[in-house]
Amino acid sequence: MKLSEQFTKETSGAAIPFIAFCIALNLTAGQITSALKIPIYLDSIGTVLTAVLVGPLAAATAGAFSNLLASAMGSPTMAFFAPVSIVIGLFTGFLAQRGWFKRWYTVVLGGALQGVIAAICSAPISAYLFSGVMMAGTDFLVLYFRSVGNSIMESVFYQGLASDPVDKIITYLIAFILIRNLPQRLTGKFAGASNIPSRSV
Amino acid sequence: MVPDLRPKLAFVLLLSVCAFVLSWQVLTLLIALVLLLPFVLPTYHPASPRARRLFLRFVLFSVALSGAIITLNGWMIQSGEPVDTILGITLYSGGLLFGIQTASRLVLLSFSVLLFFTSTPIPVCINALQQSGLSRTVVLMLLLTLHFLDTLPERIDRIFVAQEARGAPVRAGFVSRTKAFFSILSPLLLSSMAESVDRGVALELRGFLLETAPSFHTLPPAKPPSPVTVLLLTASVLIVVFSLARWLFP
Repeated sequence: MKLSEQFTKETSGAAIPFIAFCIALNLTAGQITSALKIPIYLDSIGTVLTAVLVGPLAAATAGAFSNLLASAMGSPTMAFFAPVSIVIGLFTGFLAQRGWFKRWYTVVLGGALQGVIAAICSAPISAYLFSGVMMAGTDFLVLYFRSVGNSIMESVFYQGLASDPVDKIITYLIAFILIRNLPQRLTGKFAGASNIPSRSV
Repeated sequence: MVPDLRPKLAFVLLLSVCAFVLSWQVLTLLIALVLLLPFVLPTYHPASPRARRLFLRFVLFSVALSGAIITLNGWMIQSGEPVDTILGITLYSGGLLFGIQTASRLVLLSFSVLLFFTSTPIPVCINALQQSGLSRTVVLMLLLTLHFLDTLPERIDRIFVAQEARGAPVRAGFVSRTKAFFSILSPLLLSSMAESVDRGVALELRGFLLETAPSFHTLPPAKPPSPVTVLLLTASVLIVVFSLARWLFP
């Protein structure tokens, strides 16, 4: 099946508004975590939800547009990380289609794998484009790794390995808990209904 | 009439290319140019007062951040000669130079992207994307995203207040707050999914998903790129080729 056909198949009916909601959720989820003072980012929760409930291509699209819109909304460097969001969407969709979102332990394992992949993908962008400085708290970690004698690329990669798996495991688990409590009446309207635990009622 | 955004995009591309290949002295000049543009050229005027505030806030943030980047690099990367000692912290020339180059590159990249977005309203960007051949599914998706971006913060606030009134521990300890997080996100997801299903049904009923769907909003085909666009793109390509040649044959 061609990619355009696959994309059309994924984005039928309710999927289009849902993907739009997920893009907006990626950009506004921080509002909830900051109101509750919980130290997590959740900037890819919408991408993960799209990947599981709709499909990998839709999730890649959601991820890419989330980054572009984040750039437009005051975080200009986010646009350069759109490829990382595309990989996150594709990989999560790939895992979901193979049933990894049906059991909690495969969700944790998938989140850890996703974290490592995200670190590998973002390291060259962060190192070569921004010399490891990303206007975030994690910059201190990069500087620490550099000060103990590592190259920029190594420092950025170690920083990614230190923070990304934890962030992605938390994001995956939150998405899993949210999805397994959704009524089948709603999830049945999406292409990825078979990717989630069947005990949903 | 959809404005031609290609010269602007080509300018952002040229600035991005410059950010990677030129020295910090030239980058500083380019940063000054980017800061002047919103006042000099009407094309780059901020699209709204909110966009102007956003740009100014980011400029102030960048000044503070650049100072931090330069100081931290000068302190932690101990290469080259010691330059000065401030409050017991010794700054080294190698680290300082690296910090200045990094900060100027980051600032120029950020400013150029922000200059484009603050001077171009998102609906105009979406129209331009549609004119350049983006599928109507993606265009609709982006327009609906704008709708959700407008309504989600208010919806989150409403759910937050309602759950707090029902006794959800939104201000208790860390574990309780984490549990309260689900009591906010679950209804938000559920209500948005229900809305998505309703909107999906409405789209199907209007024939949006048919291959020969009626078009309600037709845009004229895009014109060939202007000489300015071609000039800016050529300059970007020449700079990349020249830099590669200098790197391959030093």
